[in-house]
Amino acid sequence: MATRDVLGIADVVDAAPPPKVTFGRSSARHTWGLVGQYGFLCALSLLVLGPLFLTVIQALSPPFTYVNEGRPLHPVSVAWKDRTWFSGGPISLVVRTLVVLLLVAWLQKVASGQGWRSRTLHTPARLVAIVGGAVALALATGPVFASLRDADGNSGSVFLIAVLVVAATQVWGYLGPTRPAWISVLMAVLTGLGVVGMAVLFVGPEVWTKAWGRYSLGPAMGRSLVMALIITTLQVSTAIMSAYAFVFLRFPFKRLLFALFMATLLLPLEVTLVGNVATIRQLEWTNTMQALVLPFGATALGTFLIRQGFRGLPSEIQDATRLDGYGHVAFLTKFAVPLTRPVIAAFTVISALGAWNQYLWPRAVIESNSFNTLQIQLRQVSAGEVANANEAIASALVAAVPVVVLLIAFQRQIIRGLTAGAVK
Amino acid sequence: MATGRAAVRGKYSAKEVGLAFAFLAPSIAVFVTFFYLPFARLLGWGTYESVRGGASYEQVGLGQYRDVLTGSEFTDGLWHSVLYVFYTVPVGLLLGTLLAVAAHRQLKGIKVFQAIFSSTLASSVAVSSVIFFFLFNPAIGFFQVSWQSDPDMALFAAALPSIWQNLGLAFVIVLAGLQAVPDEVIEAATLDGYGPWRMLTRITLPLISPVLLFLFVILVIFGFQAFAQIEIITKGGPGGASETLVFKIFQQTQDYGKGAVLSVGLFFVTLVVTFLQFTILERRVHYGDS
Repeated sequence: MATRDVLGIADVVDAAPPPKVTFGRSSARHTWGLVGQYGFLCALSLLVLGPLFLTVIQALSPPFTYVNEGRPLHPVSVAWKDRTWFSGGPISLVVRTLVVLLLVAWLQKVASGQGWRSRTLHTPARLVAIVGGAVALALATGPVFASLRDADGNSGSVFLIAVLVVAATQVWGYLGPTRPAWISVLMAVLTGLGVVGMAVLFVGPEVWTKAWGRYSLGPAMGRSLVMALIITTLQVSTAIMSAYAFVFLRFPFKRLLFALFMATLLLPLEVTLVGNVATIRQLEWTNTMQALVLPFGATALGTFLIRQGFRGLPSEIQDATRLDGYGHVAFLTKFAVPLTRPVIAAFTVISALGAWNQYLWPRAVIESNSFNTLQIQLRQVSAGEVANANEAIASALVAAVPVVVLLIAFQRQIIRGLTAGAVK
Repeated sequence: MATGRAAVRGKYSAKEVGLAFAFLAPSIAVFVTFFYLPFARLLGWGTYESVRGGASYEQVGLGQYRDVLTGSEFTDGLWHSVLYVFYTVPVGLLLGTLLAVAAHRQLKGIKVFQAIFSSTLASSVAVSSVIFFFLFNPAIGFFQVSWQSDPDMALFAAALPSIWQNLGLAFVIVLAGLQAVPDEVIEAATLDGYGPWRMLTRITLPLISPVLLFLFVILVIFGFQAFAQIEIITKGGPGGASETLVFKIFQQTQDYGKGAVLSVGLFFVTLVVTFLQFTILERRVHYGDS
C-alpha cells in the first residue's frame, strides 16, 4: 500500500466503484488502482467520522421519536427555529458569517494550490467567490429555513436551489489553467452542498441554542477558558524561565535539579491525586480557580521541549549579544524567545489543549455544580434525564467547537507539539 | 553577563546563581508542593488505617501496604486497567498505522483525508465519552445494547470512546514518522523490486519503529490514566466490574490511608511499565544512528 505514485487529477476518468481494492502500478490497472485508493480512503473516513454523523443525527431528533420510528438513519422531527440567516444576536450573526467567509476562502486557497501569503485570494474571481458566496448563502438560507419550519413539502427543491445559487458564485474562482471545467463545476456544487448543508444542520435547528441555555454551557465554557488561559500562561512562562536557567546560566546542583524536574514525569496526577486533594482541602481551596490551575503551573515536558529549542541556538548569537552589552533578561526576551518561537508556539498550543481537556483534577476539587468546568458539566448533563438526551448530545458537540477552532487555526503547531519526541 | 564560557569551572557568579534560582523558583515551588510533597505524605499515610470511615486514623505500620496491595481491590483494579490497555492499545496502533499508510501518498485532495483522519483530536475525553454513552445507550442509542450493565462488556464499552478518540493522535504521530522516512530509501527499495506489501513490512515499518514505540508508550499511559470514560459510561459498574485502578483511587479520596496505598501501588505499576517498555522494546526497535 505504500506505493508512492505521483498522480495527476487528469487521471481520474472513471468514478465507478471498484469491485475490490487494488494498488496496481502497471498502466492498465492504473485507473482502477486510483479509484481503489480513493474508495479505501473514503471508507476509512467513514470509520473516523461515522460516530460523529450518527451523533449529529441523534442530536437533531428527539430520542424516542426515532426509536419509535424504527431508528431510521436520518433526522426525525427536527425542531426548526423561526429564523433567517440575519436573526439571532449580532455576535452569533457575525461569528456565523465569519465562519462561512473563512471556510470559502480556505477552500479557494486549497483549490489554488498556493499558500496564504502569495496574494492567492487577491484575484477578482476569488474575491467574487468569497464575498458572493457568503452573500448568496445569507440570502438563500432564509427560504430554506422557512420551508423546513413550515414543512411545506418543497424543502428538497428549495434546498437544491440554494445549493446551486451558492455553487454558481464559486465556479469562476475554481477555474484554473490546469483544471477541466467540469471538475470546477463539481467542486463548486460540492462546496455549495457543504456550506448550505452545514447552515441547515447547525443554524436552523433549535437544539443547539436550547442545549446552550438549558445546561448553562456559556458560564461553564467561560470558566474552562479562563482556566485554560491561566494554565497555559503559567506553563509557558515557567517552562521558558527554567529552560533558560538550565541552558544559559551556571549554578550549582544543575544536573541534580534537572533530574528532579524530569523525575516529576514519573509522578502523574493520578498517583498524587489523594495527596493533592488533601492539600486543597486543608487550604480550603475547593471550588476555587487557584485549585484548578496551580498544580499545573509548571511542567517537566515544557521545560524539556523549550530547553531543546534553546540548545539549538548557535552559540555565536549569545557571544555577539554579550559583546553588545545585553544582559540575561534582555537576551532572553529579545533573542532567545523570538528565535525559538516555533517550539514555544507548539508547546503553547498542546498545553492549552491539555488544560482545556482536563477532567480528573477538576472533578476531584469541584464539589459544587455551579463551579463546573465544561468537561465536568458534560458529565452532569449526560447523567440527566433520557427524554431530553438529544440536548445532552448537542451539548457535547457544542463543547467541541472551541477545540475545532483551535485545531484549524493552529494545525501545524498542534501536530508539531504532539509529534515532538516521536520524530527528531 | 559576569561570567563567560571561559570562566573557571566550579566558580559561580553570585548574580548568575541568583538569577537562575529566581527563574527556577516558580517551577520548584509547584513541583515541591504538588508533586514531591504529596507523594512523600502518601508514603506516610499508607501506614495509617482509617477508623470509623475516616473519623480518625490509627498507625498500623506496613501491614496495610501488605493487606491492600495483595487484596482483591488492588488486584481487581490493576486487572481492569490492564484489560483496558489491551482493549485500546493494539487496535490504536493498528488503526493509526492503517490510516497513516493510507493517507501517506501523493494524490489530489489527500490533505482533505488527512484533515478528516486527524479530526478526532478535536474531541476531549468527556466529549467522546458522552458521544459513545448515547450511541450505545440501551434505551435510546443507535445501537441499543446493554453493554454498560453486562459485567463482561462494560469495560469494552468504556474503551470504545478511547479507541475512537486515539485515532487522530495515532494517525498524526505515525504520519509524521512516515514523512520522515528518506525518499532515497523508498526509491532504492523500489529499484530492488520490492512490492507494496514487502516495502511496508520490510522497509517502512522497521524504519518507523521508534515512532511506533513512542505511540505505544503514549497509548499505554493514556490507557492506565483512563477515568472520564469509565465514570461517564459505566460509573465503575456493574458491581465494580469496570473499576480501574485510577477509578478506585478517585473513590478513595475520603479514606487517605487506603487511597495512599493504592496510589503508591499505581506509582510502582507506572514505574514497572515504563521500565519494561524501554528495556524490552528498545532492543527490537531500529534507530537510525545505531
